[in-house]
Amino acid sequence: MTGERGQGSDGFCLDEGTFRLGCQLLVQHSRTLDDGWSWEEVQGSEEGFLKKTVLAVGRTGDPPAQGGSSWLGDDADTLRPEEDQVLQDKDVEEADGDEEHADSEKASVIRYEYHVLYSCSYQAPVLYFRASTLDGRSLSLEEMWDNVHPNYRTRLLQGPWDTITQQEHPLIGQPFFVLHPCRTQEFMTPVLSAARAENRSVNYIVSWLSLVGPVPTPLVSLQTGLRGHGVTYTWTAKRTMSETARYLLESRD
Amino acid sequence: MRKERKAAKQLGFIIAAFMVCWIPYFVIFMTRCHKHRIRKPGFDLILEKVRMAAEHTEKDPANQKLQFAPFSSALEAGFWHQLTQKKLNDYRLDESPKSIKGYYYNGDPVGLPTRLTLEFSAFDVTGPTPARCCPAFGTLYNTNTLEAFKSCDKKALLEKEANEIWETMQSETVLENPSLLSKFLLLTFADLKKYRFYYWFCFPALCFTEGIQIIAQPVPLEEKFSPKQIMALQGAYDNLCNESGATAVPYFLIKYTEEDVVVSSLRSWNNFFKGQKKVCVGIYDPCTLSQHPGWPLRNLLILIASKWGSMLDSVEVLCFRDRTLQGKRSVQHSIIFQVQLPELSLSAGCPKSVGWEKNQKGTMGPRMVNLSECMDPKRLAESSVDLNLKLMRWRLVPSLDLEKVVSIKCLLLGAGTLGCNVARTLMGWGVRHITFVDNAKISYSNPVRQPLYEFEDCLNGGKSKALAAVERLKKIFPGVNAEGYNMSIPMPGHPVNFSEVTMSQALRDVEQLEALISAHDVIFLLMDTRESRWLPTVMAASQRKLIINAALGFDTFVVMRHGLKKPKHSESGGSTPSSSASTPASASSSSSPPGPAFVPGASLFSNIPGHRLGCYFCNDVVAPGDSTRDRTLDQQCTVSRPGLAMIAGALAVELMVSILQHPEGGYAVASSSDDRMNEPPTSLGLVPHQIRGFLSRFDNVLPASLAFDKCTACSPIVLDHYEREGFQFLSKVFNSSHSFLEDLTGLTLLHQETQAAEIWDMSDDESV
Repeated sequence: MTGERGQGSDGFCLDEGTFRLGCQLLVQHSRTLDDGWSWEEVQGSEEGFLKKTVLAVGRTGDPPAQGGSSWLGDDADTLRPEEDQVLQDKDVEEADGDEEHADSEKASVIRYEYHVLYSCSYQAPVLYFRASTLDGRSLSLEEMWDNVHPNYRTRLLQGPWDTITQQEHPLIGQPFFVLHPCRTQEFMTPVLSAARAENRSVNYIVSWLSLVGPVPTPLVSLQTGLRGHGVTYTWTAKRTMSETARYLLESRD
Repeated sequence: MRKERKAAKQLGFIIAAFMVCWIPYFVIFMTRCHKHRIRKPGFDLILEKVRMAAEHTEKDPANQKLQFAPFSSALEAGFWHQLTQKKLNDYRLDESPKSIKGYYYNGDPVGLPTRLTLEFSAFDVTGPTPARCCPAFGTLYNTNTLEAFKSCDKKALLEKEANEIWETMQSETVLENPSLLSKFLLLTFADLKKYRFYYWFCFPALCFTEGIQIIAQPVPLEEKFSPKQIMALQGAYDNLCNESGATAVPYFLIKYTEEDVVVSSLRSWNNFFKGQKKVCVGIYDPCTLSQHPGWPLRNLLILIASKWGSMLDSVEVLCFRDRTLQGKRSVQHSIIFQVQLPELSLSAGCPKSVGWEKNQKGTMGPRMVNLSECMDPKRLAESSVDLNLKLMRWRLVPSLDLEKVVSIKCLLLGAGTLGCNVARTLMGWGVRHITFVDNAKISYSNPVRQPLYEFEDCLNGGKSKALAAVERLKKIFPGVNAEGYNMSIPMPGHPVNFSEVTMSQALRDVEQLEALISAHDVIFLLMDTRESRWLPTVMAASQRKLIINAALGFDTFVVMRHGLKKPKHSESGGSTPSSSASTPASASSSSSPPGPAFVPGASLFSNIPGHRLGCYFCNDVVAPGDSTRDRTLDQQCTVSRPGLAMIAGALAVELMVSILQHPEGGYAVASSSDDRMNEPPTSLGLVPHQIRGFLSRFDNVLPASLAFDKCTACSPIVLDHYEREGFQFLSKVFNSSHSFLEDLTGLTLLHQETQAAEIWDMSDDESV
């Protein structure tokens, strides 16, 4: 459908132009599905990255309210005027009684951010990710893994997801976790060579995402993640998914 | 019979007493739960459900008032990063209000709270809004102090904002730009020292004093509209978006018949409705609740009431919700209902307003988020170092036990060329606890060879090495727990009995060294003389601590682990294999001996278990004495090839790490050069006793040797004297010539017996 050869004649490297084109096509398609991928330009530069944000309900370590409680307490006096005023407002009070609203009060919504950047040195796409609570506190890696089903966690940690490091996002300068790109070429080669053998064109970015992509979303929730990705990416090539499965099986041995 | 009755009576009393005692608790518990809303998920949910059900049945449906789901503030980590940058570079002490921008989305799955999101791009007010999101414009009040944040008049802020909204309603500008209805305030204080951010959101909403009457209960759109109508609505809304050049329109007008649905923008009200008594309006609704509209509807209803209220009988409201699940778009779950707007008297001015957000506890108060984890550079350095080390486990050494390495406590005796290089390699392994002992000052020749020092450190007589090394380690990695001790280690043949003062100083030094050795897991001997290694060798052997020893010649070096004596109380008998010797420290206190006393197949040079390995002095047949006295200058100072210290220092640490990976730790059987082809005993490979390197040949060998029963440092007789007599014995050693130890251990006798002994002098005493 949206094909672009992502490799030179001699290898399976990805050059920057192809990376951008691949991203562009993915974003175009994503827009029709409204599955959240967008291209983010960095202000004042030519560079940009592919971005997706997913929200899900999960567990977070410490309740964010704890730290500030000490002075929140002694502040209550000065804030009473507003409190009274709002308490008179029935609308607010009663909407607050909704169970959904009560859920949100527990602040267990987690926002997962995935950024795909191009790495010149590895000539490959690189996945940057982080998870944070709604007040903007980033979760530690342990907290993130805590939200993955244990069975799945074990499998993922044997696959490409054991190569997580921490780095500053090169374009926005904030700390992110990174899936190290040093093995990317290795696991992309079978996919791309199979496609080449059949003279079929594939979008490198989409194939790559279907290899690493099924992984981040299960961090959110196993089932919806798999379903979402299955539907989103099988449009490129059913073959890619089976390759993925085979790769994952092999790498487990 | 009487007994039975008595028993029954007694039982009755007991139960009654029990009830009386517990009733207050039950009562308090129940009321408290209700009052303070102890949020136990299950219990709470049930409680809320019960309450809601009660409310629904109590109230006459015809009299129900409309309730709105408030916004929850949602801040991306990037927002705080950007606020920090702005505060440091642009705002500085400027507290004046700043324009910012957020957005809300209406495609959420059920269960997510209604959110107003601020991200990294919030400060770029003219920037693009994410696809299918409606912008919300806000004002940021960033205070310079927590006091200002607390004392800020929130009521006045809200009223001011509400008045502005009211004025835009009167001046028609709101019809051109309806997003002016959904505005917000954000009050912040950024504590950039502790990376704590205090904030309080406000989503100003003007209110009708008596609430809004629901005429027709909210129902899903699919119950009211036919699929055809829904398709038409969807198409009409998309067209409206295209016309206005946005991917989402916050408010719109609707007319529908059985056949068709048309929509229009807010500004064409008069032309569109042409005096209709019943109208239908649509909002882009960020709420997912089936019975409640989201917050943005509030100000729209006020606007309608103030502008056209007198002409209207009722208003039908469509809460337009547009989501795509698995590639399939749906608006069927939108909700639609009818309300009757109360009268709003324009002469009374701006209606009262609400909007400050509750905090996580559900009370009116600010929120605080602690971002030190992701903003404090020191914390970031620590987590990056750890994660980077974990990369080694990936396929290369999956079974690597990093925890053992990172948590080890290392004592470095000597902070010269070897000490500096050992410390740097330890840092590379993520070791956090490093202690230096050295008595020297940094001289001008040092910095080029000793990588923890700089030219500046040599000025004015030079800084103390131990203290300067600590300073530098902390600069390299603030997460390190480093300490320095500027002290001398008393040595055999270097008398301390010149005066009371020197004696008591020696005693203090001995006690200090004993305490240090006992507080660490691994002792590195990195000094420049042979005899200074004697005292720590004896102490560590006695305390069963692992010693790693490194010494340099001109182009030769030795790196070795000292034999680790068996735990004291099981020395005589035991031969059960150890399973608990995880670290040398724990091994020394473990009750089970580390390995069989006699290993089948153990010969003089192969398969020697750790407890039978020799120490640095075992190969010597002379006791340590004053080696600096009768030497030429070139034998006292650094005359090694400059690369040698780096090689030996690195090998010393790598040897330690390999030993730590062995299940038996310091008791591991020594690997030798012959084992190079065999299955390695640890995930990192061999655990040799010694590594002897010859730089001239670029070659290393891995000899192993047995502990010598006449050793001047680790033989039972020396340890026994040390343990029994303590400083008394030690001072005898310091003050006497080397013959004292040789006599004690029987070396003198040996000398007499053997006429000539071939001595391989590693000239370790020529090192730094």
